[in-house]
Amino acid sequence: MEELDQIVATAPSRIEAAKSLDDLETVEAELIGRQSKLAELQRGVGKLSDDEKPVMGRALQEARSAMQPIIAARRAELERRAADLLLEDDRVDMTLEAYRLPTGSLHLIQQTIDEITDIFVALGYAVADGPEAELSVYNFDALNTPPTHPSRAESDTMYLEFGPHDSALLRTQTSPMQVRWMENHEPPVHVIVPGKVYRSDTIDASHLPVFHQIEGLAVDVDITFADLKGTLAHFAREFFGPATTVRLRPHFFPFTEPSAELDVSCFNCDGGEASCRVCKGVGWLEMLGCGMVDPNVLENVGYDPEALTGFAFGMGVERMAMVRHGINNIRHFIENDIRFLGQFT
Amino acid sequence: MRVSLDWLADYIALPTDDVAEIREAFESLGHEVEGIEFPEADWTEVVIAEVISIEPHPDADKVRLCQVVYDDARTPVDVVCGAWNFDVGAIVPFAKPGAVLPGGFEIGTRKIRGVQSNGMICSERELGIGEDAAGILVLDADATVGLDFAEYVALPDVIFDLSITPNRPDAMSMMGIARELSAYFDVPYSMVEPDLPTVPGTPSTSVDIEDPSGCLRFTGREIQNVVIGRSPFWMRQRLRSAGVRSISNAVDVTNYVMLELGHPLHAFDADRVVGEHLVVRRAESGEKMTTLDDIERALSQDDLVICDASGPISLAGTMGGATSEVSQQTTRVFLEAATWDPPTIMWMSRRHGLRSEASSRFERGVDPGLPLRASSRAAQLLAAMSGATILEGVVDEIAVPVTEHTLELRLSDITRTLGPGFSVGEVARLLEKLELDVAGADPLSVVVPTFRPDLERPIDLVEEVARLHGFDRFGESLPRGSAAGLTAEQHRERRLRSALVGAGLHQAVHLSFMDPDDLDMIGYPADHWARRIVTVRNPLREEEGALRTTLLPGLLASLRYNASHGAGHGGLFETGRVFFSEADDTDARIPQQPVRVGFALFGVSGGLELGGSGRPTDAFTATALARLIGEVLDLDLELRPATYPGYHPGRCAEVAVSGNVVGHVGEVHPTVARHYDLEGRVAAGELNMPDLLAPTPKPQLESPSVFPRSEFDLAFVIERDMPAVELLAATVAAGGELIESAEVFDEYRGLEEGRKSLAIHYVLRAPDRTLSGEEVAPVRSAMIEAAAATGAELRGRA
Repeated sequence: MEELDQIVATAPSRIEAAKSLDDLETVEAELIGRQSKLAELQRGVGKLSDDEKPVMGRALQEARSAMQPIIAARRAELERRAADLLLEDDRVDMTLEAYRLPTGSLHLIQQTIDEITDIFVALGYAVADGPEAELSVYNFDALNTPPTHPSRAESDTMYLEFGPHDSALLRTQTSPMQVRWMENHEPPVHVIVPGKVYRSDTIDASHLPVFHQIEGLAVDVDITFADLKGTLAHFAREFFGPATTVRLRPHFFPFTEPSAELDVSCFNCDGGEASCRVCKGVGWLEMLGCGMVDPNVLENVGYDPEALTGFAFGMGVERMAMVRHGINNIRHFIENDIRFLGQFT
Repeated sequence: MRVSLDWLADYIALPTDDVAEIREAFESLGHEVEGIEFPEADWTEVVIAEVISIEPHPDADKVRLCQVVYDDARTPVDVVCGAWNFDVGAIVPFAKPGAVLPGGFEIGTRKIRGVQSNGMICSERELGIGEDAAGILVLDADATVGLDFAEYVALPDVIFDLSITPNRPDAMSMMGIARELSAYFDVPYSMVEPDLPTVPGTPSTSVDIEDPSGCLRFTGREIQNVVIGRSPFWMRQRLRSAGVRSISNAVDVTNYVMLELGHPLHAFDADRVVGEHLVVRRAESGEKMTTLDDIERALSQDDLVICDASGPISLAGTMGGATSEVSQQTTRVFLEAATWDPPTIMWMSRRHGLRSEASSRFERGVDPGLPLRASSRAAQLLAAMSGATILEGVVDEIAVPVTEHTLELRLSDITRTLGPGFSVGEVARLLEKLELDVAGADPLSVVVPTFRPDLERPIDLVEEVARLHGFDRFGESLPRGSAAGLTAEQHRERRLRSALVGAGLHQAVHLSFMDPDDLDMIGYPADHWARRIVTVRNPLREEEGALRTTLLPGLLASLRYNASHGAGHGGLFETGRVFFSEADDTDARIPQQPVRVGFALFGVSGGLELGGSGRPTDAFTATALARLIGEVLDLDLELRPATYPGYHPGRCAEVAVSGNVVGHVGEVHPTVARHYDLEGRVAAGELNMPDLLAPTPKPQLESPSVFPRSEFDLAFVIERDMPAVELLAATVAAGGELIESAEVFDEYRGLEEGRKSLAIHYVLRAPDRTLSGEEVAPVRSAMIEAAAATGAELRGRA
């Protein structure tokens, strides 16, 4: 009995001394295995007297129960340590770019078109795509541009060898789609038209012979100048930030009257800082041309100018993107240098 | 249009001198401010002095000893001067000792060849107020001795550079600007009213307008006893502020009046007009004339010319001729003030590359009521400057009378466009500010003066009301929308682009042109659709002479750009129109111009491992992209082996959607790739977008089976050129509904010449039961039989 107490008392320190799972196996065998003292005592129980048998039996059971959880706990502990060691071995340098999923990009012009399109889609506009090889009639005549207007000159407009002389050209603006859309839709119309336009321009830091515009047109029974102003102010706040303010300055376009240019407050300097790289200290950025649709244009598409009014606007996509992203050379847009494209993902 | 505030002050007293406020006025009137200059005296201590004596220098013959006075006590100051263009009594700008001239040039007291010189008499160039450095600046005799020179030059000044819109000829003058600001600030302005001392007589030159379509009115005035010389300092300074070069008094007055009143004039030397008779007509082809810039110009029948007995001597409203030009010898001037047809002048000045201050006004339309006032003003100035005499009589030929016209304006015209809140009284008040005569109530009857040719319709008056009301005073509102939004096709187009971006491609944008020689290089046969090019009649550059019929050359050129800038791999795609010389299906008046999607890749593509290693691009990169498009757009898409110009003959597939070919994908032909300096295999493709974007039916659920699958592999030996897809299709068809999937997992070509082995993994599953071996065995046999029918021979268990 005394021997048993001794085993139980020293068991925890022996178990704790096991430094590996193998050590623990050995200790476990010595404490409770077939060759252990405990097993030997167990085997001797049969030889004891009837009185001693239950006492000894219970004592042995208690001793085993006391030691088993300690062994189990130590085993769990050693197993965890072994696993930790394996993981330690498995360490990698997480800063390495050992695998890279493909990353492409939408062209910044596309992103800008999509973003502006979505602003107007949310206001209930449809989106139309019109022909780039267009009729002179749609590009000029139907838009109230007199036959003598200088923009018709060969120095400004690219004419196509197609159909009668001077009839087909590369559209110089997205505005001809105003006419096509109205010819094919009953009022009210709310539509925007993103797309390529063409001018006979020499390529330099701010000119390309092909660039992108977004045209907007709204015609309904009760549209007034305030609707034009409110719509463009909403657009400017969505595109340049909620603090943006706008102003309209009178201007001249053949197909709108009154006509205006829209300036937005500089988003970079909060108004007229002399050193501002974006507005050059002016505080305003010239953004787009707009105006109330000229009654002649409505009449040309068979709309009643006594009953209907509308507004139209047209903006340069490259300019929008250049202003917002600090791009100083328009040629970046057509070089398709992945180092440029990949910056705008 | 450059506007000096100092000059403007002759006609209007603005209620403010705050530059920002004046800028705001111009912009809110619609005259965009392109720049503001602040010319200042770039010197100190320069006064107006009088030369009281001039002596030769004892030791130098290039300079003279002068004495000048400038203070109240008229204390003589000795100064050595190297200029010879003045005499005793000349009034000159004098830099006192201690003065600093432009460029930091300090003036002191110094000895010049033994003689003390205290200061310097200055030239225009030395003061930075002109180009003349030939002599010192001799001022007008009435300049006040002792006055600070900066004050005399009216510095500091402010010059606004305004961009005047093409519809506003009236604003191309100081007078017009004064009129606009008068309306804006509600202050009066004074119109120039020439007061003309005349002598009896009429011009010896007569005029005949033979072409009333080009010349509406021609007036002439004769000035005699003219002494050609330099204009007074003030006039030269004003011309300078407007950016106009001083020539001589007779020419300067015409330019001055053009700037002041907005009417260009032309001065003929009356003695050099052959035959003393002028005819205005169109030129005859073959005629020539030499203009003032000494260039001989071949004339066309569209040119409008003024002729004397010798032939054309002036391009109407654009530039005068050399033969009748005012010279130093001129004593008799015939001053032309005419009204020209604006488009005639615009096209003529463009045709001859002669866009001038005069033509820019005539092409907008100069007030036909202005000619005589303008020539009177010029004559008055010239008479005052050179003692000339002006003949009382004038030539005034009117071919087409232009008068004021009247417009009817209803209040509803205003409110329909500008919204409520305008009264008849307010509208009348605003229009009257612009010198329009307004009568009546509703409708208002509005008389439009001849200086506003842009006001032709009621809507033009609506614009004027809005402009004077102030655009910034209108409110902001949002109109109702049309409940429109993106169409299904537009959504699918975005989905297509996103998928390509997700696959690692960058979207490219190209100009829409191409070099037709590229079609030969690629090898399109003569009758191929890609040869049906639409050409530009008037390209600015040769590169812009032909519209593209395919996206591939642009994409490949951009790959080359990237490769030559150090990229080892890369993929681009583009969506855009191509153009064909056939009539468009929906509008036969314009060319066909379908939208295409194209892509091209080189180097490795897909995911990348350390060091940029990955899967080398090849034909299967192209087919993978085609399949990806098919997946994301839920298309019934099929790839079939094909040959096509520009592609590797054995590595090209046509892409069919629901059985219709919509384009090709594959590996770029090595010759073509080499043309673009691209190494390794290059994958590319081009598909017709509308065929991809048509909406497809919404997919309907097929419940995934909960029963286990049965699978087996089969390997077949087939002809090398037999597409795998045919073998798959045959076996799958034989397998029937039980086939869940069939996939080629190995291709082996080392068997025998012209044969290959394909190993295929088949999965079979039933929706409602576990398949037994007995059930699968006959299916498998049927599949092998079907394969055999295509010529495939079972190779045994793979």
